[in-house]
Amino acid sequence: MAIHRGGKSSSASSSSPCAHLRTAYHNCFNRWYSEKFLKGQWDKEECVSEWQKYQSCLSQHLEDKNLSSFLEGKGAADSSNQADSGSPVGGASTGVSQ
Amino acid sequence: MVKAYTQEHVYKHPWERVTSASWRKFTDPENKRILSHIVEVDTLNRKLDSASGKLYTTRVITVHAPGPWFIRKIIGQDICHCVESTIVDAQSRSMQLTTRNSSLQKFVEVEEKIRYEPHPDNPNGWTICQQETSIRIKPLSALASMAEKVEQRCAEKFLQNSVKGREVMERICKYLEAESRGISI
Repeated sequence: MAIHRGGKSSSASSSSPCAHLRTAYHNCFNRWYSEKFLKGQWDKEECVSEWQKYQSCLSQHLEDKNLSSFLEGKGAADSSNQADSGSPVGGASTGVSQ
Repeated sequence: MVKAYTQEHVYKHPWERVTSASWRKFTDPENKRILSHIVEVDTLNRKLDSASGKLYTTRVITVHAPGPWFIRKIIGQDICHCVESTIVDAQSRSMQLTTRNSSLQKFVEVEEKIRYEPHPDNPNGWTICQQETSIRIKPLSALASMAEKVEQRCAEKFLQNSVKGREVMERICKYLEAESRGISI
């Protein structure tokens, strides 16, 4: 069987170690989105330090969650037309590419 | 075998508010109880095109999808990951989300597209949401006989969850409306 998760499925509900940083980033993003971006002030990105802290935590923990392969798709925000690339979960042990 | 569904919903809220609500849908802790199938949402990539006012986002959504025991037995897990790609075009006021499952692709492919645009009859007050879901079960021999059943179940689940999603969206919109009245007007 190609797809299985090494018996870790019960840990699905445990909360992420990055939850606090994620919330801090979301709060900042939501504010920027409605107060700046939607009002035409899209010339510069904000929440940069919140983003960096959140991302560095995430990249350390993605591997635990078998998610590191997603980082390979970084930059492909409009990847909806991408060809079926097989089984990302199965190939997730190659390390974090960030 | 492919099943496709389209749904349409009109929010009596402006596009700006609805898309703000969309970003909060999976991440506001108050919605956790209703959207209990969503285990976790992480943003992996965000790119702002400051020349055109387009915002590109990639998120990974961890979904808990308990199925019948034989499904769990076969696929060995009951959570799956979906990748959501979003483009918001602030200039033309459109938001498009495309979500696909990235795990279990050997068995099933689900693609959901959601588009939020100003309603043509009331572009500054209402928002139209068009949702397209397609579900394709792979013709895998071991699964062929139960594929139909799985597909049906998958489809039911999706429809149930999209109703829940709409309820949550409506609630966040109301909240944001109250907030904007209280604070900025």
